Formats: sequence, structure tokens, C-alpha cells
Amino acid sequence: MKIHFPTVLEKFKVLLFVLPLLLPLLAFWLLPFGSSVYISFTDWDYISPEYNYVGLDNYEYMLTDDDFLQALTNTFVFALGVVIPTVVLGLAFALLLRKEFRGSRYYRAIIFSPWITPTVAVSIVWTWVFESKAGLANLLLNELGFSSIPWFETGAGAMFAVMVVTVWQAVGWTMLFYISALNKIPASLYEASQIDGCSAWTRFTRLTLPLISPTTFFLIIVNMITAVQAFDQFQIMTQGGPSGSTRTLLYLFYQQAFEQYEMGPAAACSVIILLITGVLTLINTMMGKRWVYY
Amino acid sequence: MNSQAAAGATMTHIHAGTRHTEIRHAAALRPARRQRVNTARLTPLVRHAFLGLAGLIMVFPFLWMLSGSMKSNDEIFSNPLNLLPESLQWHNFVDTFQGAPFGQYIFNSFFVALMTTLLVIINSAMFAYAITQLKFRSRTLLYVVVMGCYMLPGAVTYIPSYITLARMGLLDSHAGLILSNAASVFGVFYLRQVFLKIHPSLIEAARIDGAGELKILWAIVLPQCRPALATLFLITFITNYNSYMWPSLVITSQELNLIATGIRQYFIAEGNYGMNWSQVMAASTIAVVPLLMIFIVCQKHILSGIADNGVKE
Repeated sequence: MKIHFPTVLEKFKVLLFVLPLLLPLLAFWLLPFGSSVYISFTDWDYISPEYNYVGLDNYEYMLTDDDFLQALTNTFVFALGVVIPTVVLGLAFALLLRKEFRGSRYYRAIIFSPWITPTVAVSIVWTWVFESKAGLANLLLNELGFSSIPWFETGAGAMFAVMVVTVWQAVGWTMLFYISALNKIPASLYEASQIDGCSAWTRFTRLTLPLISPTTFFLIIVNMITAVQAFDQFQIMTQGGPSGSTRTLLYLFYQQAFEQYEMGPAAACSVIILLITGVLTLINTMMGKRWVYY
Repeated sequence: MNSQAAAGATMTHIHAGTRHTEIRHAAALRPARRQRVNTARLTPLVRHAFLGLAGLIMVFPFLWMLSGSMKSNDEIFSNPLNLLPESLQWHNFVDTFQGAPFGQYIFNSFFVALMTTLLVIINSAMFAYAITQLKFRSRTLLYVVVMGCYMLPGAVTYIPSYITLARMGLLDSHAGLILSNAASVFGVFYLRQVFLKIHPSLIEAARIDGAGELKILWAIVLPQCRPALATLFLITFITNYNSYMWPSLVITSQELNLIATGIRQYFIAEGNYGMNWSQVMAASTIAVVPLLMIFIVCQKHILSGIADNGVKE
């Protein structure tokens, strides 16, 4: 084995290669992360230069604060309400589109297209769909003989509307992952099951589902992380209302930090978002090591 | 709900189809073969019908947006379900462009997204090259640190990043936006995977020939992974073009706004939630169409790139 003695020149070379990325990473990711954690232990208000170290007060305050608890619940309700339909529909589309056939590329492209477009713009369009008087959703309800629903005036209606937009945007992306996972299943397994006389349904539940379970797991976690960090559609469609019923943790953070300038509680809120994301990511990597084979 | 039921129907249909095929083996061949041809034709038909319907639901908001942007405001409310406007109101677009500087917004978004993407590609490529091809002690540690940032939600860094930009005098500037987005964890992750597949002998040969590391990266490594670079370019560009929360915090002057912030302000100011939908739809169309066009042109690239590599953010 050859022992490596890095010369000054080689060290310099390495630095030249890694610094262009490391500098912005330090300035806008790593150091801010550290100071966010620090700010979360203070009562800083952004304007005054002075602040006090308040220890865990911000965190303790949150645990008893109704707004925070409501936002926490909303975040989980939203995440679940988005993830389950996204994964189920994504799998359904993937099963139909896994093999190439005439037109399959167009279907894939169409189902995927919402992912490309700016969430802000499409949320505006969807606001119109859920508009109370002339919106598409209520028109369809009326056609079917139901009465109109004031979507954005009720908590459940508003939450539902935001979920629909989010699922609509995420389905195509989820489908793509499922398609590549489904196509990685060796054809010989299917042939064997066919020889054994399995029905299509047994083949799906006993063969396909278990074999793509790592992908399912990955998609659930990643879609959850994205849902926890959803912001654009909330700000366009509901602004967290009515009366906080669609305020998620990220929206609460936004209001605390950039509307009320309560940087301490806001930073604490962001640290909690980080903890949720971090736990999800860790589960993902741990499970990924065990389940995913490249 | 509806589409799920339809998916179930298709499943049972496929099921029935295979049953028939099984029967064919046991029973007399000729009549059964006709049977098989029939189901074989019917299954794609059902599939097409279902996919066509689902596809229509997926694009309907876009169609509705387009049709709304061409209607008069009265028509929007009186005939909301008419996809074809009575007469095309092209002046909605003219009015919208006059109501807010959308051309400027789109230019800003393109400029910021393009610059950010170029920076991301350059610094991710250099970093990925260093951790895959150069030998130094802390390279695994560096990679772990960078990947660790993957789990940092943007929100955690917003307050201090905002202060940093303020101290650098880069608040309310495109330079601030570009710099603050210049480090991409995904870029490193993606290019590292690509670079690992490059045969080491190629780089050794170049080194023996006396090429410098930057030259090797530029002249040997990068040309080999053009498709991957194109994918990274597209994904980074689209993400940055669409980003909203952070730019809306950093930028305060109207003429520097990106399209997402611009369209939101227009929506709040002009829209008044239902007052002037035709112009709001025209504005949304202006924001959405450039991206749909990029997507139509580069569709194959984007779809395969994302499916193969696991992309988000």
C-alpha cells in the first residue's frame, strides 16, 4: 500500500475544486442552520439589536400554544391526505403505462405535465376551479344534483382543495418512479408465476406489491417530506385560513417570522419542521439500506 | 374516487383476459383463439378509454385556464363550462401585459434560473470530480456533510440567510438570489453517481499525458456525460424558475420580481377573488406556457432523467 503525502500544491488543487460549492453551502445552508438553532433559544424580534437568551421557552410555549398544536395537526392531516391518494393513483397509472404502447408516451407526458408548471400559477387556476359561484367543482356538484359547497369558507373544504392541487401536481412524478421500479422486476418471475397458474390479482398482491415495496416506502417518505414543506399552494389558495384551519407548520413559521417578526418562536418552529423532516429522511436512509438494491 | 373505480374495472378486465388465455390451452384451439383476439383488442381499448379520461382530468385545469384567458369576464361567469369562447378575446393578454410587467418578470425568472443553473452545474461538477477522482483524506466526510444538507428544509435557513444577504448588501437583488441558491445538494449527488461510472483508466491516461485536473474535467469527463448534464440543467432550471417562497422574501422591488411573485401580486391586486378572472387566467397562462413549451420540447429527457435518478427539489 502506498501512503499518500499530500503536497501543498495538491491541497490547493482540492480546495480549488471544492470551494465553489462549499462557500455558498456554508453561507446559506450550514451556518444558517446553526444560527437558526441558536435563534430558537432567544426572543429576538429582528428589529432591535438586543435579545435575551430564553432557553427552551420558545419550545415550551409552543407545546401549550393552540395555534402551534393546530398547525402540527394540520400538517399531519395534510401530509396523509396528500400522500395516500398520490401513491395509490401513481401506482395505478404506472401499472397501466409501464409497458410502451402506442400513445403511452403522450399519456405519461400529460399526467406528468402539472409537475413542471409553477405551483403559484396552477394554484391560481385551481382557486378558480373551487370558486363558490362559477367554479368548476360546484358546477359539477350542481349537475349531479348536489348543492354548492363554499370551499374556501370552511376548514375542511379549503384543506380538501389544497390537497387536490397537491396530489394533482405530484401524481405524475410518483408514477415515473413506479414505472421504473415495475420495469426492474425480472420478467422471469412473472413467467414462473404464470406457469404456476396464479391469477392476475394474486400476481399483483403476492409478487408485484412486495417487490416494489421499497419504492412505495421511498415514495411515501419523499412525498411526506414535500407535503410538510408545502407553502406556495397554501399562500395562494387559503393563506392558512379560514381561522387557521389550513395553517401548516411552515405557514405558521412564515407568519411568525415575516409577518410578526417573532424570530425566536419562528426559528423554533423551523427547527421542529427540521426534526420531522430529519426523522423521515433517517427512516428512509435506514430502510433504503436494507431494502433497496441497486 | 371515480378514477380509482375505473382502475379497478380495468384490473378485473385484465384478470378476465388471462382466464380466457388459460382456458385456451385446455379447450379446442380454433374458437378460443377468436376469443383471445377479441379480449386482446378490448383490453387496450378500455385502457385507452380510462387513460384518455384521466389525461383529460389532468390537463383540464390548463384547458380551462386557456379558454378562460380568451373569454370576456361576463362570459366566464355566465358560461363557465364552455371550453370554446364565443369570440377570442386576445386583448385580455394585451391588457394583462399592460397591467403588470409580465415580460420583465419572465425575463427575470429566466435570467435568475439560468445563472443559478450554470453556477450549480459548474460547482457541482467540480465538487463531484474532486470527491470521485482526486485522492484526499476528508473526501468521504465532505460528501457526508453535503448530503446531510439534503434533509435541511429551506425554512430552517431562511431567517439567517436573509440576514446574511442583508449584511452582504444583496437583499433585493438578483445576485443575492443566484448566490443563495448556488449550492445544490442534488447536483452533487447526481453528478457523483454519473462520474463514478467513468472508467478510471481514461483519467489516468490523461494524467500521464500531462493534462491538468481542470482540463481533464472539462475536456474528458464532461463531454462524456452530456445527457446527464442536460438532465441536471433542465431540472435545476425548472425548479429555480418555479421557486416562490424564498424569492418573494428576498426581492421587494417590483421590477426585479420573478414570475411567481409577480403573478401572485397581480392576482391579489387585480383579481380580488373573482373580480377579473379573465385577466388573471391570461396572467396564469403567461406564467405556465413557457414551461409547458420547454417540457414539450425536452419531454423525453425530463421524464427519463427523473425516473432514473430520483429527483425532488
